[in-house]
This record gives sequence, structure tokens and C-alpha cells, in this order.
Amino acid sequence: MIRYILRRILFLIPVIVGVAFCVFTLLYFTPGDPARMILGDMATEEAIQNFREAEGLNSPFFVQFGNYIYRAVTKGDIGRSYMTKRPVMNEIMQAFPATLKLSFFAILISIVIGIPCGILSAIKQYSIFDTVIMILAMVGLSMPVFWLGLLMIILFSVHLGWLPSSGFDTFSAMILPSLALAAQSISMVTRMTRSSMLEVVNADYIRTARSKGQKESVVILRHALYNALIPVVTLCGLQFGQLLSGAILTESIFAIPGVGRIMVEAIKTRDFPMVQGGVLAIAIVFSVVNLAVDVLYAFIDPRIKAQYK
Amino acid sequence: MKRLFFAVLLIPMLIFAACGMAVAKDTLVVADQYDATTMDPIAHNDVPSSRACFSIYDTLIFIDGAGKTHPMLATSWEFLSDTEYKMNLRKGVKFHNGEEMKASDVKYSIERATTDAGAQIRTYSQNVKEVKVVNDYAVIIVLKEPDYSFFSSLSHCWASILNEKATKALGDNYGMNPVGTGPFKFVSWQKGNKYTLERFDGYWGEKVKFKTLEVRSIPEPTSRTIELESGGADIAFPIVTNEIKRVEGNSKLTLVRKPQTSITYMGFNMTKAPFTDVRIRRAIFDAIDVVAVQKAVWRGVGSVPTSLVPSSVKYSIAAEVPAHKRNVENAKKLLAEAGVKNLKINIWSNERKERVDMATIIQAQLQEVGITSEIRVLEWGAYLNGLQAKQHDVFLLGWVSTVPDPNFAVSGLLESTAGSNHTGTADTKLDGFLNKGRKTPDGPEREKVYKDMQLYINELLPMIYLHSDESIAGMQKNVKGADIRSNEIHSFRGVYFE
Repeated sequence: MIRYILRRILFLIPVIVGVAFCVFTLLYFTPGDPARMILGDMATEEAIQNFREAEGLNSPFFVQFGNYIYRAVTKGDIGRSYMTKRPVMNEIMQAFPATLKLSFFAILISIVIGIPCGILSAIKQYSIFDTVIMILAMVGLSMPVFWLGLLMIILFSVHLGWLPSSGFDTFSAMILPSLALAAQSISMVTRMTRSSMLEVVNADYIRTARSKGQKESVVILRHALYNALIPVVTLCGLQFGQLLSGAILTESIFAIPGVGRIMVEAIKTRDFPMVQGGVLAIAIVFSVVNLAVDVLYAFIDPRIKAQYK
Repeated sequence: MKRLFFAVLLIPMLIFAACGMAVAKDTLVVADQYDATTMDPIAHNDVPSSRACFSIYDTLIFIDGAGKTHPMLATSWEFLSDTEYKMNLRKGVKFHNGEEMKASDVKYSIERATTDAGAQIRTYSQNVKEVKVVNDYAVIIVLKEPDYSFFSSLSHCWASILNEKATKALGDNYGMNPVGTGPFKFVSWQKGNKYTLERFDGYWGEKVKFKTLEVRSIPEPTSRTIELESGGADIAFPIVTNEIKRVEGNSKLTLVRKPQTSITYMGFNMTKAPFTDVRIRRAIFDAIDVVAVQKAVWRGVGSVPTSLVPSSVKYSIAAEVPAHKRNVENAKKLLAEAGVKNLKINIWSNERKERVDMATIIQAQLQEVGITSEIRVLEWGAYLNGLQAKQHDVFLLGWVSTVPDPNFAVSGLLESTAGSNHTGTADTKLDGFLNKGRKTPDGPEREKVYKDMQLYINELLPMIYLHSDESIAGMQKNVKGADIRSNEIHSFRGVYFE
């Protein structure tokens, strides 16, 4: 088990280097001189050339890439933002907690609401419950997050005045953005739980448990749910990774200073180091989340645990 | 059971919400579009950072909305010669860290702006040769070449006076921990979210009438307006065209509009035939109804400038030049005279919706005189690259004069040595005007130079002026004393709550 985890962590390295290379190459060949774009209209030609020299922008491609990897590995220095002149590491570390909080709450809401709804839908299949939940799930899935967000702001902030319309400092400010972002996830988790449960609930071992005289709630929650959880856990893991990768629209509507927003700004202004740093951070997080999900399988499904022994 | 659970959950949520909404009225909350990038006055040239700097720092002089110069950290000044300005400094000015402002701080601040750290504002500082300290309260700024527009630029953020000791001590971290002499002192900054300033009780001038200034960045225009409507923000800007009616129609809010010192223009590539021929340029100008184009795209916001020097900057002739009238007959006649048939041109623009819309209408109007045009929309980086390589025929771009001096409105665009001269203008007579204007002190002689220059530019026609924007801000009715300015460096120094 430990060996498996260590091996997976080792595999992260070529993934990260590969991602860094792809991003680096794309940014390198995209037209637009970062020196000119960052220094703006009031810089002199001399100042622009000095900037290019100082940042090593005139060196050949592989030299630039090599320097980048070397500094990242030895000093944890993944460059300085061209715009703010501060280390990229600091900028991302500062923005990450907000995105993390937002994604975490969104996933929590998805699980807390989605799984029970899915179970309910499955055991009361074709009932009024099922139909209503499925319709709501369809609506949640199809609503664009920015529209849902704006609607919620107008209702809860402007007309009712219950909740603040932007920012992320207080608990009350976190409610609307998390709900808006979670809308799609809730729907997907509900539907996935429902279909997974339906498959399981008609299995032989469930019939055995019932005929044993087991209480219905134990049959559903212990026997059926456990077996139905694997696809749901996969989905939640992927969803979490996706939410972490930027939640850009939600962050824009609700003015949340997270990774998605700083990435958009960095791309617009050709802030190379920032874009690279941001993509690397997202790649690492995604890989780690996937690893965690894989490890979690082992605890849920004894068959998989046996494989790793 | 479930219902009780939810009810219990709801109560603390409502309490939190209530706490969040009740803000003491000793705090001014401003919703800006973007966050500042740095609080170091020479490390940026963007407007949100300049606004932050105007609250935290003072400059030697201050130029008001009417173009009049006022003493600030300098109480008086003398022009010892064309290249030497003696500035007498105010005594007893305290920095936020308790130190007193001395001539050494002024020398340090201005000379620092000439180093690589000030690359973004080098155009303003490049003419500084040195700053001589006369005594603790007087300096002489020595320039390399005579340039009276430099004096006006001393009111710009780049010339903010820093505390030498604090700046040197903080080094690279200075941008996040500013120390100035301004009426607000720095408290905290959550990057990308908001920064908080507090009244500086040791300020040399009139103290601010409220305790805390909180500036939040909300990039979405609709979210900003909603924040204003819900009372979460006291002032919000910019208010975009679509939101104007909402703010105007709201009885709890006021809308403030000021003409901006900016211009959107369509420039010709004067290095490429046939645009080398002024008749072609004139023909294209006559074929376009600029007033109608501006009205259609901007729907009542801004106006069409008639001179490159904005109307709110001194010596502008914008008020005296009549609005352009479309003249299709003359356009056709000029094209025929120049011997050009079936002209095909490309119009370059970046992705900004308004510019693309203007280009589309212009394309249709040009078609009527037999000129076929293709619109090429490019992403910003690619756009700048292409303009530098002079690959375009005609292009749409903008320019802002943050310092209200006619030199800055023109030289960056049309001087033969300028970096942003995408029209490729290299006219010795125009360069001569610009040179003379810089070397002449303010007065009737300088006024004549710039008036002649503006008329000459209109004759030379390197560009067609399309639009001059407005600074539009919305605020709660009880907020008074906010100075919404034409150069977008809005001031909250005089704000009070009614």
C-alpha cells in the first residue's frame, strides 16, 4: 500500500515537468512581447530593452526553460510576476486559500445534498420524489453558473438584503458563491448516485440481506450504498479537481480573489511567470486529488485493497 | 427533527448576515474595477495604483480640474533657468512613520525614478539630470534639456515623495508596505481583493473626515452596480453604459460624469502607400460620419473630439474647431484626383467590442465611396506586435493623457522618436512644434505654439478622432465631497457623509 502511494507520487514528477514544458512552449510562441505589454506606453525603448535583458527574455528557448526548472527545483523560486514584481509562489499561495475554501464548500454541499437525494431517488424510483429531484438536477446542470450567480445576488442581496453580494471574508459571504458553484456538482452527484444505487439495489446480495430479515435502512445504507459509492467517489474527486482548477466565472461574479481570477489577469497581460506558476499549481493539485481518490478506493472496496497488498 | 435542525442552522446564518450588513459610517467603501498592482509610485503606470498612491502620498505640486497649479509639498518655486527649477519645501511635514520630510527625501524620490525600477514611467523621469539639495527645505531639480511639460508632470504619481529611510529598509517589499506623507496611511492589503487605509492624524493639511477607506476590486460591471444598490459600497466606478440608467433611476444613488482626458482614434500608417498622400487620408475622413459612429456605438456617453489635445487640457482648441461633417462628394472627388480606384484597405483593431463596432460602421460608410475594407481583429499582444512592425493600413487605438499638459497628449503618439507612434509620423514641422512647446514656459507664447500645432495636426491628418470617454461614477446620496477627475485619479480626500 505504502509502496503504491510512493510510486504514484514519483509519477507526479514527469507529469509536472511535462505540463511545465507545454505551457512554457505555448507562451513562448504566442505573439506579444511581455516587456512592452508590462511596461506600457510611458516606458522608453531603452527601458524595454533593459527589461528584456534583465529577465533573460533574449536567451534561446531551452536556456530559458532550463533556468526555470533549475531555479524551481533548487530554490522553490518559480519566478517573479512581471506585473507585481513579487514572487509567483507568494501570489499563488495568497490566492489559493480562497479557491480552496470555495471548492471545498461547494463539494461539501454537493455531497451533503447530492448523495441523500440520489439515494432517495433510487429507492423511491418513479415516485413524485424521483421526478422532482431529477427535474431539479436537470435544471441545475443546465444553468450557466454566472447566470445563476447573478440571479441569486439579485434575489438574496438586492431585494431581500439577507446576504452580501460579493467578497469572501465572512461566513455569510461564502454561502451564495458556494451554492452557485455547487449547482452543477449537486446535479451530477445526484444523478450518478441514483443510477449507481439502482444498479446495486437489484443485485442478488441485496435480496439475500432482505430475506435475512435485515432492517431496510441497514440494507440501503450499509450494503447498497457502499457498493454504489465507487463511481460517485470518482466523480466527486474529479469534480473537486475541476472546481479547484479555477472556478473562474464564480470568482469573477462574486469578486473572489482566487487562483482563477489571477490566472485570467495573468493571461491577459502576458505575465509569463504567473501563468506558468498557476498552471503548475493546478496540475499538482489535480494530480494529488486523483491520488487521494485512488487511495480512498482501497478503503471503500476490499477487492481493490487486496490488489495493492 | 429535520425542520428543527434547519431552523437552528438558519438562525446563526441570519445573525452573521446582519452583522455583515451593518457597517459603521466611519468607513468609506469604494468599489473599483481592478486592484492596484503596487503601492510603489514608480513601479506602475496604471490608474487603480495611481489612485491608491494619491491617497497615500503627496507630490510637490497639485493641478486641479481647471488646470490650475497649487502648492502641495512645495510651497513655492522659481524657474532659475530653462533647466533648473528651485522648489521650496513645506516645513513640518510628517511621514506616516513619524519622520519629517526633508530635501534629502525629495532628492531620493526623484532620482530613484530615473533608475530601472521606474521603467514604466521613464518617459516622465528620463529628462532628470540630478536633484541638488540646497538646504533641508529647498532643492533644485536639474534637467538635461529644457522641458516645461516636466513641471506639470511633477503632479503625477511618479513624482510622489517617499521616505528615503523606509524605502531603502524595505527594498523589494516596499510595494506592499508604503510610507508616504498623504492624508491616508496604509493598513493592510489582500491582493486581488481589497486594500484598507486609515486616516493619518499627523497630516500637514486638512484631515480626512472619516476613519477608514476600504477599496475593493470588483471586475464585473454588473456586480459593482449591485454592490452599490445593496449598500455594500458607497462609491463605485466605472459605471458602464448599460448600467447608467439603473443608477440614474435609483433614488438612493447619484451619478457623476466628467469628460475624460483620453481619446480613441483611427490612425493611418503613413509609411505605406497610398496613405502617404494626404488626399487619400482626407478622402477617408470625409467619407466617415464620425459623430454618427460615436453616437451609435457609445449611446450618449462621451463625445467626438475635434483636436488631439483634450478639451480639459490647457491650450486646447477643441472648443473652437467645428464638428466634422460627412462629405461623400468631396471624398469621391479627392480619390479621383489622387488617381485611386477600387481602394482595398485593412482596418486593424483589438478585441474591445466598441472598437470593433466602430470599425464595422466605418467599413459600411467607406463602401459608399468605393473603398472596400477588411476588418482584422487581433488579440492584444499580437496587435501590439503587428503595429510595431507597421503591417497595418489603418488601426483603432486609444491614448490617455494622465498629466494635463498638451505635450503629453501629442508627443507619445506623433513625435518621430516616440515608441507608440504607430502612424509612423515623421514630420519635421510637427517635431519642431513639440520641441518649441517644451522649451517655452507657460504663457501666451506657449499657447500660440500649441494652437498652431493643433491646427497643423488637423491639416496633416495622421489620425481621425473617434471618441473621447467620460469618467462615470455612482455613489450613495449621502456621500459628498468625492472628486471624480478627468484623468481618472479620483480623490477621496474631501469625502464626508451627510
